[in-house]
Amino acid sequence: MARRAQAADAVYRAISDPTRRAILDRLRAGPANAGDLAADFEASRPAVSKHLRVLRDARLVVDTRVGRERLYEVDPIPLQSVAGWLEGYRGFWQESLDRLKRHLEGK
Amino acid sequence: MSTMASTSSARAVWDFTEGFVLATVEIEATPERVFQAISSEEVCQWWVRAGVFDTREWKADLRVGGKWSASGVARGNPYTIEGEFLEVVPPRKLVQTWRTVGAPGPAGAMTTVSYVLEATDKGTRVTLRHWGFQARPATEGNGLGWETSFQKLEEVLG
Repeated sequence: MARRAQAADAVYRAISDPTRRAILDRLRAGPANAGDLAADFEASRPAVSKHLRVLRDARLVVDTRVGRERLYEVDPIPLQSVAGWLEGYRGFWQESLDRLKRHLEGK
Repeated sequence: MSTMASTSSARAVWDFTEGFVLATVEIEATPERVFQAISSEEVCQWWVRAGVFDTREWKADLRVGGKWSASGVARGNPYTIEGEFLEVVPPRKLVQTWRTVGAPGPAGAMTTVSYVLEATDKGTRVTLRHWGFQARPATEGNGLGWETSFQKLEEVLG
């Protein structure tokens, strides 16, 4: 569970930045290399590479080497993991508040 | 109150980008009665998720800065949740920090739960917010469709 929280922290850190969220959105449309992304976002290539490194560390993107280029793709699994964590609490509170209601209404 | 249509069941949603859970329910009981149930050992009667989570013991020093803890069994493993009261305003509001020790949930991660109780013609509307499921404050959305990929916060109070 601690590992999941750490992974969630890394995911939230990664998506706390609007440019990184935009990069993820762009990559959902299809794989791209750092040069394409730099052009799309009118950012310097080193700046884009830095964002990609944060996303890769959070395992939100994976890269594959194609010739001399690295191609970046979205990995949806960590996002689903964080969503699952929140879903657990959502379910807990919904069920608990129903129990509270039944308890207090004597049903 | 008994002549009115029964209030509906609880609803809860989560918001991924902001990292919180929002839940609401209307209960045919006074705010005073509800406040007692959320701030006493009565918690053991309802902090339960069948087959997952069963609260058996509750201790609390009910004042701002006072500690609370709840322990029980989750999927066969003992666990404790503990924290501190940040706001104690009977019968309207209770805010407490929440840290899980052992399963379920992230060990060590500090989150916060708030209950707001409002009197209605049927009894009491409870609005619960559980937040802090993220390391940093979320920044503004960028309008590029990120939010649409996940369950959005629904209007649950309307």
